[in-house]
Amino acid sequence: MATITMSDGAPAPAGPDAVERRVLDAALCCLARWGVAKTTLDDIAREARVSRATVYRAFPGGKDTVLDAIVVDELSRFAGDLGERLLGTDDLEDLLVTGITFASQTLTGHEALQYLLAHEPEQVLPHISFGRFDGVLAAASGLVAPHLARFVGEELALRTGEWVTRLVFSYTMAPSPTYDFTDADDVRRFVRSYLLPGLTDRTTAPAAPPHPRND
Amino acid sequence: MTDGTSPALGAPPSPAKHRLLEATYACIARSGLARITVEEAAREAGVSRATVYRHFPGGRDELVRETVGHEVAHFFLELAEAVASSDSFADVLEEALLHAHAAVADHEVLQKLLATEPDRLLPDLALEANRLLPPIATFLTPYVADQDLPPGVEVEPAAEYVARMVLSLVGAPGRWDLTDRGEVAELVRSEILAGLVAEGDDAHPA
Repeated sequence: MATITMSDGAPAPAGPDAVERRVLDAALCCLARWGVAKTTLDDIAREARVSRATVYRAFPGGKDTVLDAIVVDELSRFAGDLGERLLGTDDLEDLLVTGITFASQTLTGHEALQYLLAHEPEQVLPHISFGRFDGVLAAASGLVAPHLARFVGEELALRTGEWVTRLVFSYTMAPSPTYDFTDADDVRRFVRSYLLPGLTDRTTAPAAPPHPRND
Repeated sequence: MTDGTSPALGAPPSPAKHRLLEATYACIARSGLARITVEEAAREAGVSRATVYRHFPGGRDELVRETVGHEVAHFFLELAEAVASSDSFADVLEEALLHAHAAVADHEVLQKLLATEPDRLLPDLALEANRLLPPIATFLTPYVADQDLPPGVEVEPAAEYVARMVLSLVGAPGRWDLTDRGEVAELVRSEILAGLVAEGDDAHPA
């Protein structure tokens, strides 16, 4: 699979054309149904209702190129959607709740990803564990840092982005009995309890205190 | 944690099973995950194939998975012992992160497998690490219960939160330099314990 190299929220300048789009969507369906090993280029062509030759013209490397393109495409789609949602938030709490909830819903609702985690974890876990997860943390924090910087300042934005990314992966890959990260109300309670206390004493913009003071 | 066996980490394997797990680990350390067979593990442990299958009916895959789980549990038992003498919760967490990060970096077998066979190792390792979340949270619970928690923060979810942070950081430190005691103290203060300290009760002023 492709290495993650997102550096900002902008979608890739040259998105897939109509044929590529069809092939990518079809391949994603195949992955959600059969996984990586059992999906053939013929399956993808049939699902997309195009010929094998058309698939090869769009993706000269065949199946591996299609799979790499899916990763890039899904990530840039996610980055674009997330960026749009974060732009609409106007305080730190909302930004964190919106971002965490959307990212968690995207991960847990992604049929192909969930199929692979259940049936072919070796296709996914090496990309999000140990040294590779450092790469995921860097990419994801780079994506959200410009948004976070509005409220916590540039210095803390990357660090905070990493912190949040860690938690999204932890609470979605091994769900918690207490906090459902796909539920905005749960996420808000979580953000108020564990994130804002570490951020609000240093924010550059006013934000609601996480716990009412008694004095 | 009072003795070498942690109730939190589950019952230790029977002596026979333990011997097989140790033997399998020795084989994996020698020749990697791809080549390990039930025969080789049986030979290493000095038992028959039938004995291996009696303890591990799932054969090779179960043997490897349980060996990974055994090593992960062993890793965290050692970690628990290493931090047992620390005084405050913050000290426990600082020691745990410093110790665990160094132990991962110095773990020759782990580093060899991560470099050569990540696809074979990581699914089992990720699964076993996640299975340790509850016992690590249980280990942390008395420390969390001793904290003067802010209103609305409960002990069990807070212990689970801390366990998740520790597990995640041990796997991938990201921007934090976990060899630097000062950075680790800042990490513990700002990201791990910030929500577990009632306002005006900051035990670690910046």
